[in-house]
Amino acid sequence: MPTGFDTFPLSVYDGVGSKRRLEGVPRIRLTRWLYEMLERWQRGLADWAGGPPADRIPSKTLCEIGPSPAPNYKPLRRVLLTEGVARTLFDEYSDHRLSERGTEETGWLLLGWRDEDEAVIRATLPAGADREAGEAHVRFNSTAQAVASRIARQSDRRLALLGVVHTHPGSLRHPSDGDFRGDIRWVGQLRGGEGVFGIGTANGDGPEEIEQPRASVQRRGGMTFCWYSLREGARRYQPIPVEIVDGPDLAQPLRATWAVIEGNAERLERLARQQSRLGFEVALPSGLAAVVPLADGTMLRAVLTKEGVRYFLVRNGELLASELHEPRVDRGIYRLLADLADGDES
Amino acid sequence: MDFRPLNDTERRQLIGALRGNADSGTALLMDRRDTSFLGVSDEVPDEEVINAIKSVPCHY
Repeated sequence: MPTGFDTFPLSVYDGVGSKRRLEGVPRIRLTRWLYEMLERWQRGLADWAGGPPADRIPSKTLCEIGPSPAPNYKPLRRVLLTEGVARTLFDEYSDHRLSERGTEETGWLLLGWRDEDEAVIRATLPAGADREAGEAHVRFNSTAQAVASRIARQSDRRLALLGVVHTHPGSLRHPSDGDFRGDIRWVGQLRGGEGVFGIGTANGDGPEEIEQPRASVQRRGGMTFCWYSLREGARRYQPIPVEIVDGPDLAQPLRATWAVIEGNAERLERLARQQSRLGFEVALPSGLAAVVPLADGTMLRAVLTKEGVRYFLVRNGELLASELHEPRVDRGIYRLLADLADGDES
Repeated sequence: MDFRPLNDTERRQLIGALRGNADSGTALLMDRRDTSFLGVSDEVPDEEVINAIKSVPCHY
């Protein structure tokens, strides 16, 4: 039926052929019909004239599907480790083996960029001294790692959680069945629904510099890391090629203050959730500063060390020390905020 | 305000960004001074990272 004609059922019409009025049913309007005819004439004339001039037609490149700004994640093709990250893994694994807890499993979280079909690992977060571990399992101190991730991501908001490395005490260079049961439920929340997993083992001797006997295997000094990926819904891990690229481990500066981070992790994490403008600075040699910017340009600064917490007010570049002695950093900051609200800066 | 036509690269980026916004809600960045298009945000939200860290399973 031509456009513009109605399609009312016969029952709508009365016995003498005139249409009954129905509430809510649009009527045919003469102006609408004329516009429709005019449009058809214009289209016909445009076709007859040969279409718009060439300079009014978008270039072919614009007609193609352009690169999507939000990565259209594909299965990981390879993993890139910065030189700093690779060095951290081997160095800290070596230190761990020589420590009192050297027979236990240990591990690291991997932070980095998830690109379309590759992952670039740019930072590692250690399992922490407060990890729960034995010879056959390791559970990381996730609260300390959460705080550390906030600190590391201050300089690069593209950093995402990419995966986990953990060690096996024997020579099993493949994730265990127990690993699979946990990881397969976890990888769905990672970007691209895929995670990167490394298994560290140590036996025998090896080269002093990192070498790769296979694309997915790295060795140094008797230690080996074997790399895998696991996609949501997959039946098994897949070995994945790794390559080393220039760059530091962005979380390496946090090692000096890791004990302070772990010791105050619960309170710092709570504070970070409550105070969106809270920032952190590594306070050398082994401290951490939590900084709360205030509305009038001043800053509240809590410096945490192994010895305790000291509080300062930074105003016009001047550092004013507080007499407050409060070892619980969140309570200390809120007490000072309350004092400042009352006009008391002692 | 200074209006000028976008070059091909800028148009491609804008079209891609608009497509990303429509498909997956990617944020479009705008220059606060003149409202011009600045690109897209590929920042990872804190909540995404923290939630993933807090749910890392035990490894064996």
